[in-house]
Order: sequence, then C-alpha cells, then structure tokens
Amino acid sequence: MTTITIHINEKEYQVAPGKTILEVCRENDIEILTMCHLKGIMDVGACRLCLVEIEGVNRLLSACTTKVGANMIIRTDTERIKRYQRITTELFFAERNHVCSVCVANGKCELQQLGYKVGLDHIRYPFLYPQCEVDSSHPWYVMDHNRCIMCTRCVRVCNEVEGAHNWDVMNRGYQVRVISDFNTPWGESITCTSCGKCLHACPTGAIWPKAIVQGQLNKKPEIIEELMEKRAMKL
Amino acid sequence: MASIEKRKIIISPVTRIEGHARITIQLDETGAVDEALFHVNEFRGFEKFCEGRMYTEMPTITPRICGICPISHSIASVKACEMIQGIKPAYTGNLLRRLIQLGQNISSHALSFFHLSSPDFLLGYDSDPASRNIIGIANQFPDIALRGIRLRKFGQEISERITGKKIHIMGIAPGGMAMPLTAENRKALLDWIPEAKETVRIGLEIIKKFHRENEAMVKSFATSPTLYLGMIGENGEQELYDGNLRFIDTDGTILQDQLDPKRYLEFIAERSVNWSYLKYPYYKPFGFDKGFYRVGPLARLNVASKMKTPEAQEEFLLFKAIGNGKPVHGTFYFHYARLIEALCSVEEAEMLLNNPAITSTDIQTHGRWNYNEGIGCAEAPRGTLFHHYITDDTGKLKNVNLLIATGQNNPSMNRSITEVAKQYIHDGTKVSEGMLNRVESTIRCYDPCLSCSTHAIGQMPMEIDIIDKDGKLVDHVIR
Repeated sequence: MTTITIHINEKEYQVAPGKTILEVCRENDIEILTMCHLKGIMDVGACRLCLVEIEGVNRLLSACTTKVGANMIIRTDTERIKRYQRITTELFFAERNHVCSVCVANGKCELQQLGYKVGLDHIRYPFLYPQCEVDSSHPWYVMDHNRCIMCTRCVRVCNEVEGAHNWDVMNRGYQVRVISDFNTPWGESITCTSCGKCLHACPTGAIWPKAIVQGQLNKKPEIIEELMEKRAMKL
Repeated sequence: MASIEKRKIIISPVTRIEGHARITIQLDETGAVDEALFHVNEFRGFEKFCEGRMYTEMPTITPRICGICPISHSIASVKACEMIQGIKPAYTGNLLRRLIQLGQNISSHALSFFHLSSPDFLLGYDSDPASRNIIGIANQFPDIALRGIRLRKFGQEISERITGKKIHIMGIAPGGMAMPLTAENRKALLDWIPEAKETVRIGLEIIKKFHRENEAMVKSFATSPTLYLGMIGENGEQELYDGNLRFIDTDGTILQDQLDPKRYLEFIAERSVNWSYLKYPYYKPFGFDKGFYRVGPLARLNVASKMKTPEAQEEFLLFKAIGNGKPVHGTFYFHYARLIEALCSVEEAEMLLNNPAITSTDIQTHGRWNYNEGIGCAEAPRGTLFHHYITDDTGKLKNVNLLIATGQNNPSMNRSITEVAKQYIHDGTKVSEGMLNRVESTIRCYDPCLSCSTHAIGQMPMEIDIIDKDGKLVDHVIR
C-alpha cells in the first residue's frame, strides 16, 4: 500500500494518503479537540476547535476537513493553537445561555468537558443573553436553543443517516438558528420521523428526551458510526 | 446633644443567618423604639425566569434557590411534577427520598443550632462578637464544635451515600429516585446513628440548661401569639415528607385538619410590602391583620399531636408541658423544637435504614406530561414549602408560584424583632452591642433562609447607623 510521510509535532509518520489530519491524529493518539466532528457523518469544519498549524500555510486549518499531503509538517500543540481553542470555547459559552448547574446534560456534556479540558475558569467576553425559545412541541423530545452551539451534528445526522432532513439552519452570524422544516415547531414537522438520532448526536443539552431529569441523560453518539458501518456491510 | 426626634438604628448585615438581610429600628421622638422592620434586600426572581422552561427541569433548577435546603425544593418540585404526570412514586424511591429529606433536616438543624445559635448560649449574648461564632465555640468547647460539625456532616452523608453528592444532588426524579442505596452505604449510615443521636442529646442538654438558667428571658422573648401551620401524618403525628396540613389558632384549636396541600390557595394569601422583597403571607379566612401564622419546627410541634419515634416523643411531651396544653408561643422555643425534630429525624432515619426494602432497586416509576397543573408540598427545615406550576399543553411552564417557609414566617419575624427591640432598647442614644445581638438573635430563632448563596457565621461586621428623620447620620458604629 502506498504511504506518504508526514510530520506531526516533530515526529514522523507513514500514513495512507486521502485521510484527514484528524483521522491520522486520532489513529496515533494525538489529542485534537473537536465539537462538530462526529464519526459516521460528513465533516464541515464548523466549530474551529481542531485547528492545526501547517508549515508554509499562513492561516490555521481545520484538521477534520484538511487531508494529509506528502511531507506535510503539522503542529497541533502550539501556544497559538491553545490560545485559539480557549477563545473558541469561551465564545461558545458567551453566545447563548449555558448554565451547567441546572442543565439536563450536566456531567454528560461534551461542551462542559471541553471547558474542563481547556481550563476554562472565566469568560472574557460579554455574554449575549439572547432570548431563545424552548421548542417543546414534539411529544417526546425538547429542543432548547439556549444550549445549542451550532455544531450542526443534528442537521447532518438527520440528513445523512436518517435521510429525513427535518433539521436545517437559518440566518447568519449570531442570529443563526437550527430550524425544523421551514422554521415550524418541531411537533408540527412533516419530515421528522421521531427516530431520536439528533438527540444522540447533540453534544450538549440542546436536544433531550422530555421525561428525564438531570443525571438521567444517556446519549450514545457512537451509535451513529455503528449504524453507518452496519449499513455499509449490508450493501 | 443632637435633637433626637425620629431616628433609625440600622443593623446591616444581620449576621449568623443564611442569606442577606438588614434590620431598621425606627425610634420615636423620645428615643424609644417605635417600630422595627426586617428587610430582605436580595432579589432572585426564580418564579419569573423559570417561565418558559420545561416542568421536568424544576427539580433541578429550584434547589439552586438555596444551598441549605435544596432537597426540600427538589421534593416539593418532584411532587408537583408527579401531579402533572399523574403518577405515584415507586415504593423504595419514596423511602429514599424520605431518608434524604431527613438527612437534610438533621444537617440544617445542626447548622442552625451548633454553628449559628449555640455561640449565644455557650459564650453569652454579651460576649465579644469577634469570637461569638463557631470558631469561638471550637476554641472553648472543641468537643461540642466537632460534634456539631459531624452531625451536619452525617445529614449530608445520607445524600452523598445515595446520590454521590452532598449538596444540590442529582437523582430525585418524578416517580422516585434515579439511583438506589447500596448495602455497603446503608451499613455505613447505620454505623453513624449512635453518634448522631448522642450529639442531638447534648444539644438538648445545652438548650435545656440555658432555659433553666435564663427562665425569665426565655419566657418573655417575643411571645406574641400567632396561628400555626404544619404538616401532619394520618394520625396527627409530626410529618416532614408526605402528609396533609393542619392550621391551629392561638389557643391551639384546630382550624383546618387534614387539609390537602393542593388546596393551599384557598387558605393562604400573600401581600407585598414596600420595604422588603419578601412577601407577607397570611391565613386567608382571618384577613391580613389577624391572619399571622408561623411555620417551621415550633409550628410543626405545636400542630402535631405526637411524634413518630420514642425518644422524640418523650421530649415532645416535655415541650407540650411548657404550653400547658396550649401552643408554645415563645419564639425562643424554636431552638428546642428544632432539636426535638433533629432527634426524631435521626431516629426515623434509623428506622428507614433498618427497613430491608431500602436497598431495593424498585426506585422509579415513569410517566409523561398529562395535566396542566402541579402542586407539591414538603416540610423544609424552616417550614412548609409549596411549589405550584402551570404548564402549557407541551409541558412548558406558564406560571410558577413558590411559597417559601421563610416568607410565611416573615410577618411574625417582623413582629418579634419589634417586641424584642422594645424590650431591650429603651434609649436610642445608649444602644449596646449586646442589645443589638438580642434583636438579631430573634431572627436567628426562626433560622431564616434568605435564598442563600452566602452563609454568614459572624465574621461580617455589623454596622449600626443612627439616622435622624432628615436622613442625616448622627452616629455610626461598626462592631
């Protein structure tokens, strides 16, 4: 099998071409923070947490959407990257209304874990405190836009795995929102199959089952990859 | 001498209570006490910002009102949720919730008595305020301080052994509990019972000794009669977790018995006042002026016909003898009632832990939104607590009403401090620190929980401003 040589953090690796930097790093136990990445669905480079430095490239590139090239010299652990990761995490928390202590996902939230990883002890940016609706119109699930970080994992899983495309995105910038159908209440959606995959894909407490309380949330994001693997085997 | 005219003495902050408050003592032209006002100057707004949230989030959000009695909020909240879902909790789940609530009651009463109030009894009302606190107790009575701290720890240990957390626990869910009690943890808690009982007995001895040595003061300390409200069991026994309500009048005549807490709005009304963020609830049939009622340990013992456990029942009979068949109105007896309750809670916790079903995994039933309205009630350490939710047809909250124990005691606290201020302050120009401490201690009798995030233990300075009627500062004293 053809391999190419790359360098990550001054160490040489022989890897198969066509893989993303993130895949190579994960295979070799090199830690890269991610939030919008979910195995089994397409990467979009939305969260900007997996940025890496590549020698000869002025800007930082997202590891999940950049493929390895021969003789690439990559750095994942510079002070600049750590600074950016911290800024990005702070902005996640400042943009909407995240209150871990009363969140249904407390203790089981990827955003909360990210905060611990980057050593988040305070946030330097003013909180926006947007007025966000809680969409409780679905009979089983709740969509709380206060806790959404716009990773769009729900949008992609609904489209690529379930094939329903109930979820999509409207507006731009800080006004961006995940919407159901053409911005109708979730419970009135004509495309939603109530499969619950979006719930498992959601990294925070934005989508959760109605009848549970804090401590009972049991999301299984890994089932998305499993589903895709099983489907591939059947084909 | 400066013209006295009408002046004010302001005690701010009130120390050794849970939360932030201020007392203003208004003097008349002769320098005597005209009126005392108890201000709660923190605003939380939970009822408003919970609107729009899901009802199932309330057992998690409302305990954040307070770090001392979060479990009472959780329990009142899940009961309201269970009414919305139309379900009953699982048998063992219910036992575990009851056990956790007893733990909180023990912990809170230990905090109130040993940490916050015992310095007055053991060190004296007029002792140096710099050391009149738990640290001073630790220096002079290290064994008592340690026991008090460990009793509080025992109460919290119950929560930790079941849910993994001491404060703001997870796991109290509509339908019961999310996690069971293991046999190992059950044994660890049972091993702690004898020490906990002994500590409460020591506390009882301290307060009874103080009663004997200060009989005149104890019997005359804010004794205005009020109505009382408390939860009772099926046979009129004192109850904290699950029961109906009883109102009695100033003579002990039962006004309402076995009242379903869901009917609370028929009997309790509230009025706002312009000097405090705490509302003024009153017994509706008697109107605002005559409807003052009290809740909490004193009220629960006054309304109860008996206690559930043998040792607490013995003390209960001694307590009832004080009133000679009538309700005990003396505000100072709150402390005694609190310790009798703590004893009952330890004994009841032992009974529950000895129940083989306590380690069963039959802990939760499940339901979903069915009804628009839910009312939950529990006895918090400081008194009867109501949670009332109205939801839309998807389970989102449209209206939230939280009737908190301290709120219900507010009118009486105000009246009590006026009484004590009049008793001890005769000349507004000669106010000693000890006199002001007595006024403060009236508030501590009620052990108010002012939606606390900060627990003052006597380290904050007490500032006294004497202000003339034009608002000019005449004198300023820092303790």
